[in-house]
Amino acid sequence: MTATDLSLPHAGTAGGDATATCVFAVRRDDAPEWLPESPGHAGGGPVGLLALPGGGLQAVVQPVAAADFTEEALRRRLSDPVELERCARTHHAVITAAAADGPVVPLPLATLFTGVDRAVAALADQRAHFLAALDRVTGRAEWAVKVHVEPSEPARAAPDEGTDPATVGTGAGAAYLARVRGRERDRRARQEAVLRVAGHVHEVAAAFAVAAVRRTPHSTEITGKDRPQVLNAAYLVDDARAAELVAAVRALDGTHTGLDVHIEVSGPWVPYSFTRSGEGTGL
Amino acid sequence: MTAGSDVVPWLGPDSGAPLGVPLVDLLDRVLATGVVISGDLVIAIADVPLVRLSLHALLASVSERVPAPWGDGGPL
Repeated sequence: MTATDLSLPHAGTAGGDATATCVFAVRRDDAPEWLPESPGHAGGGPVGLLALPGGGLQAVVQPVAAADFTEEALRRRLSDPVELERCARTHHAVITAAAADGPVVPLPLATLFTGVDRAVAALADQRAHFLAALDRVTGRAEWAVKVHVEPSEPARAAPDEGTDPATVGTGAGAAYLARVRGRERDRRARQEAVLRVAGHVHEVAAAFAVAAVRRTPHSTEITGKDRPQVLNAAYLVDDARAAELVAAVRALDGTHTGLDVHIEVSGPWVPYSFTRSGEGTGL
Repeated sequence: MTAGSDVVPWLGPDSGAPLGVPLVDLLDRVLATGVVISGDLVIAIADVPLVRLSLHALLASVSERVPAPWGDGGPL
């Protein structure tokens, strides 16, 4: 534990009291007055700063009990909705605090090293990536745009109209088939229209962004029944253009009345989606 | 983060949790930094990715709070 000037109170010793080093983010060290204002993970030591070799960079770290972050412990904790939420919110709170006065590169949830030395060595290997990522996100923030479809009541009631007894008789079968085909045609047309809307919203938002990511929309298991998601995207936006993006995207909400499309914008977020290193690094 | 100080839609008055961000929105962002390969979230421990958690399982556990799973193919 001599590689840094950080006065972490715990050392990575063996045994039940072993301490691991949790790394939340990397930032520039040009704001020496800054101190983390988040308590970090429960049961851990104070959130602190770890100077990285080469100068100019520091990591936001916390000593945590290694026993709480073993593979098995993590799997158990992150499989528990309450623990998952607590862990994710803690992670987010520390990173957001770290980003209060300058850009940060957020690291993956539960990025852990066996000790400070190991953390310094691993992070130092990523120095070029961190510098490039910080340059990339300086003066920018991540904005998220999601588009959901809210089916209209008439559209949902329509399939039952064809059961009117008055239509039963000669030719009723053919009429029924025609209605089925018609509904299928309508359904496809509607689906295509919705996807066009999603594409249009994305294009409008991307026009204000320097980078964009379209993720696979969440299933209705996540979004809730009757509320399928058709766009789940993130945009890296210059701070000066953020208001324009928000206004432009929100202006689209409600303009597709026949489709009941609902558009959500959220931000500014720490640029979680735009600071990953190249494939295979994973710290 | 200084952008759009007039637009912070998720900062609701609810929940004593930090920042009050909806969990699904939060996970969308937080997990974006994870190494996601074929739906698996790889968490780095001691610089070696040891833990592979099914992202689907993670989100499914979140969705337990969302009632009424999709029954049919849906309107799409």
